[in-house]
Amino acid sequence: MNLEAFENRVLPSKNKLFRFAFRMLGSSEEAKDVVQEVMIKVWNGREQMAEIQNMEAWCMRITKNLSLDKLRTQQRRATDLIDEGFEVRLDALSPYENTELNESMLKVNQLIAALPEKQRQVIHLRDIEGYSYNEICEMLELDMSQVKVSLFRARNAVREKLLKMNAYGL
Amino acid sequence: MDSKQLEQLLEKYWNTETSLEEEKQLRDFFRGETIPEQFKETAELFRYFDHQKKVQLNEPSFDGDVARKINATRPAAKTVKMYYNYARIAAGVAVVIAATYFVGQEVRKSYPAEVTDTYSDPKLAFEETKKALMMLSKGFGKARHETEKIKMFNEAEQKVQSKHTTKEKETSI
Repeated sequence: MNLEAFENRVLPSKNKLFRFAFRMLGSSEEAKDVVQEVMIKVWNGREQMAEIQNMEAWCMRITKNLSLDKLRTQQRRATDLIDEGFEVRLDALSPYENTELNESMLKVNQLIAALPEKQRQVIHLRDIEGYSYNEICEMLELDMSQVKVSLFRARNAVREKLLKMNAYGL
Repeated sequence: MDSKQLEQLLEKYWNTETSLEEEKQLRDFFRGETIPEQFKETAELFRYFDHQKKVQLNEPSFDGDVARKINATRPAAKTVKMYYNYARIAAGVAVVIAATYFVGQEVRKSYPAEVTDTYSDPKLAFEETKKALMMLSKGFGKARHETEKIKMFNEAEQKVQSKHTTKEKETSI
């Protein structure tokens, strides 16, 4: 893969990768770092990746793994200072989002952020990015039933909580 | 899309049975202004999805940064590595050459230099050789003279011994 192919096939995915990393990490700065790391990784490994069919799915997979690494190091740091670490995470999420989202969207955002890791990934890839189930399986290294179960739980958890919130006028 | 169709489609959606196409229909529908009251929450969700899709990596320098990094890291690392390999080979060759040179020097020092003529004039050389040979023969002659003394002792001893034995014979008879 030469630079031109890289610019045409890999670089345009940056926004999708960024959204996914942002969904996982909750910080635009860190998500940006992850995407940059992904780009460099793909470029450095371009010889071995020649036969990859779905470049975007491959990039997404690397994004997922790097984001998970990042989350793990964050958690290690946070175990020493549990409260502080938690606060940092919320801080990183709110100012960026506040400016962009209206009240109801902020609510949905929080609901999705509160979902378990896997459900959050699946609902993001399906309902926001619009990937097929096969692509999601490839990206998350899961089988079809796991993906569908996670999506089912994610959608219904969000739905129930939304209904509840509105019923109580929250 | 009427309310009944919508309800059916949503039912499928919650059961994760909708296709991507149907999910797109739902998003399109909820983008509209007239949303029935009972679907208010669902509309919030779909609008959120729609909105999130527009989030972008808001950094104009990103592409440039990546381009700079992939140009900077990869080729540089490669050439450094190549030079490093060549340097290793060159160092090995240099060590071998230096070693053979020094060892050769030591060997040359420990062996005597080849015999070279000390005299250019054959007559003089002949005289010198004669002198040297004379010295040798003189030495030999001296040595012979000394050994003759030992011979004398030997003869005397033999004579004494033979006398002794004849005497013994006489007494025994």
